[in-house]
Amino acid sequence: MRLTLNRRETELTPAPLERLSDTLRAQGLTGVRVSCSEGECGSCTVLIDGRPVTSCLMLAAQAEGTSVETIECDDPATAALQQAFIEEQGFQCGFCTAGFILTARAFLARTPDPSEDEVREALSGSICRCGAYPFITRAVLKAAASLRGAA
Amino acid sequence: MTISFDPTEHDHVGKPLPVRDAREKVSGRLRYANDLALAGMVHGALVRSPHAHAKVLRVDATEALALPGVVGVLTHEDTPRTVWDGCWFNYRGPALDGHARFAGDEVAAVAATTPEIARAAAALIRVEYEVLPAVLTAEAAGATGAEPVRDEGNLREPYVAEWGDLAAGEAEADHILHAVIDHPSQQMATIGRNACLADWEGDRVTVWTGSQTPSELKTGLAMALDIPQSKVRVQALPTGSSFGQWWSNNFMMITALLARKIGRPVKIELSNAECFATVKRRHKELSTGRIGVTEDGRITFLEIDHVMDNGGYGFKNDVGFFCVDNWGRAESGRCTVRAASTNLVTAGCMRGVGDVTLGNCVERLCDMAAERLGLDPVEFRLSHQLRTGEPLRHIMGHDVPEVAQARSDSKAFRAKVPADWPEPFVLSSGSTAEILREGAAAFGWDQRFVGWGKPNHCDGEIRRAVGVGTGIHCCGVELEGGTAATVRVNPDGSVKLHASVGRHGSGAETTQVQVAAEALGVTWDMIEMETGDTDSCPWSHGSIASNTMYRTGFATVSAAKDAKRQILEVAARNLFNCDPDDLDIRQNLVHRRTRPDNERYTIAEVLNAVRSDALGQFSTVIGRPTEAMPPSTTFARHFAAHFVEVEADVGTGEIRLLDYLACQDSGTVVNPHVLMNQVIGGAICGAGFALHEELHFHPETGAVMNDGFLDYKVLRSADFPARTQVIFGNSHDSVGPYGARGAGEAPIAAPVPAICQAVFNAIGCWVDLPMTPERVIAALDRLGHTPH
Repeated sequence: MRLTLNRRETELTPAPLERLSDTLRAQGLTGVRVSCSEGECGSCTVLIDGRPVTSCLMLAAQAEGTSVETIECDDPATAALQQAFIEEQGFQCGFCTAGFILTARAFLARTPDPSEDEVREALSGSICRCGAYPFITRAVLKAAASLRGAA
Repeated sequence: MTISFDPTEHDHVGKPLPVRDAREKVSGRLRYANDLALAGMVHGALVRSPHAHAKVLRVDATEALALPGVVGVLTHEDTPRTVWDGCWFNYRGPALDGHARFAGDEVAAVAATTPEIARAAAALIRVEYEVLPAVLTAEAAGATGAEPVRDEGNLREPYVAEWGDLAAGEAEADHILHAVIDHPSQQMATIGRNACLADWEGDRVTVWTGSQTPSELKTGLAMALDIPQSKVRVQALPTGSSFGQWWSNNFMMITALLARKIGRPVKIELSNAECFATVKRRHKELSTGRIGVTEDGRITFLEIDHVMDNGGYGFKNDVGFFCVDNWGRAESGRCTVRAASTNLVTAGCMRGVGDVTLGNCVERLCDMAAERLGLDPVEFRLSHQLRTGEPLRHIMGHDVPEVAQARSDSKAFRAKVPADWPEPFVLSSGSTAEILREGAAAFGWDQRFVGWGKPNHCDGEIRRAVGVGTGIHCCGVELEGGTAATVRVNPDGSVKLHASVGRHGSGAETTQVQVAAEALGVTWDMIEMETGDTDSCPWSHGSIASNTMYRTGFATVSAAKDAKRQILEVAARNLFNCDPDDLDIRQNLVHRRTRPDNERYTIAEVLNAVRSDALGQFSTVIGRPTEAMPPSTTFARHFAAHFVEVEADVGTGEIRLLDYLACQDSGTVVNPHVLMNQVIGGAICGAGFALHEELHFHPETGAVMNDGFLDYKVLRSADFPARTQVIFGNSHDSVGPYGARGAGEAPIAAPVPAICQAVFNAIGCWVDLPMTPERVIAALDRLGHTPH
């Protein structure tokens, strides 16, 4: 199957019932973290045509013809979020971090100037068991401000 | 209170430096165990018992072995009968012994070329069982004629802490109040599933896995494999979230055994359901207590009977109950902990063990007493909680010679330790007092608390009220001893710290480097740390029991000072021609204390000068701890005081958190960013336990029924208040590095009583845990009227 993976035309040959998360990890994209495998935790979130999707619940074949982006994809919004997550320490163990950053990137693309409560709601599809939520929220607000400044 | 710590004096301590692996975490490049692969590796899957309790009569692997791609099978018949011990009795048992002690217990393992084939093969292994009667509760475990879960019997020796004259305390009390609290079992519910890889080279094995306790895992593997520790190398990796889940676990032993049997590297990756249902969990704990108070507000006695279940392989006879120390001004007391083995998944130390549960019971009793007397809960805590220098009630290790000696001859003890170290058997530094006062002022407690059982705001079915709770935990356990670290200074002046700590998000790989850099006088960029390789890191208990900053940090600082001493001796002899005591190092530069800007050499220049040194120095300096903590007599604790406002809907039973203030006394704050994260993370996990979290066990098989995030609910970002603040206390510990103590566990203990109290104030009654809408409605039904 053909798809655009991290902005490069790519050809992949997944097994018929392979999950997209497994296909991407097999490409060395370790930023696709698999934890719950039931779409509840959000660690494996990737962007499909700009929309956040839990890749553990999607068959790889369904991604044919789409644009798939992971945390490894060079992107100014991802970079701004990464920097803000570092500065605000929006993580502890780091396992869920890529999923939060990609979810936040898609959210900020739609809502460039969010309120604090909007950020908290928008990120509620992901679980940070370490409980870094307030710092994640701050990081997203900080990245939003810096992206608005850059725009 | 005197503040003897000035952060401006320091280059690293007290600074909010970014954690060392931040870039790897945000980029997805940090390597967890499930990211690793080895050349020639095969994949393992586990065969698990469907029965709560059964003997394995026969394992028939014929069909499995016939499946293309299957490499080999491991059963109890291939397994040494040696018992391996997990740290602090969190596990005791052989890796496989043909005796299934819970539904989900491992009975065999199979290796194949892909994980899918391995799982298919595991399903083809036929196991014949003799099903035994199952013991599913601690109460049943203690009944006459109960089926033994273990050869040692079901009941552990009761653990008792006692002080004062309980009978007199009871006689003197004007009011005696009772509480019974059934604490459900909390699941660590880790994000990030663990994997284990094992590879044998001859008779030596290397194991890669996520672990908070690399050295303890090496010890456990040597026991399970029945080989010397010198033949075991653990390469501990980041765990993902852990909270006590990933110390040393039986699936790691099985991975190493399977690899030895088939002669190839093996990887076993657990599924999320396996992580939830087969590894570890918090104990189910039933707390029954009584408190006696006089009309004028004295606590004359405190009595707790606490029953916990160990599951199949836990072997603890106590949970940490430092909460008894926290309320140690009670005039008399007795706390009894009784533990029983059951045919449920193994229970062990989850973050805040004991102080989350037993601590909640103590706080409840004290709240009930304060309510009866009409006293303010902040004031009641200030009156009755222990202060620095006051005697502790929960002294562990009475039978250890060092403890006995310090008790009988305190002068001999004082002669052995530095003059500024605390007296033995008293609270060494800090308390709840300062953080309660500062927290109450910052929260506006006096305005927002309007009386026991009274909301400060009513609107239709909405009731709002505030609550306060305190938490305490140890800073490592006094009897562990032995934690070491080494600091190696390379010929180019760069430094590597080797200290065995966990990388589960607590920031230890950062804060240890901060204190090492401070003690040695080097800059942030010149120092790296190895945390997980047991071939280079000396033995340590790892990151458990909030010991990392206090105990490992002590060893780290001591090793750094030893390295510094060696560098200064070389510099004094070869370059300065002076006494080493006249020299110092700051910012990588060796200089005279009196004239720091005059003559300066880099550490690399000093170590190069060693080449002409005839006195047997080496150009790699290895610093090791030269001082030891008194292992059994210095009692540091850390403290939390949390303030919360809740909103209860008496129509739906829903509880929402509106405002949260977490105050923490951990002594010197080495990295405020790291500590804030620990404090809030603890509060959120504790709030989850108060409001939602509970494992459900099948009534017949004892199997965990809610083995994933679909059915086991944890808090998400919108569930915790946007209004969240942290305040740090200012105490200073004379033993801990730069005045610091432990940090990670008191913050999960305080939220439970705080939220329970706030709900009581909102709706006028206590609610069973977890306080789900159903339980809130049930409590209101028992109350028999709509409050207020």
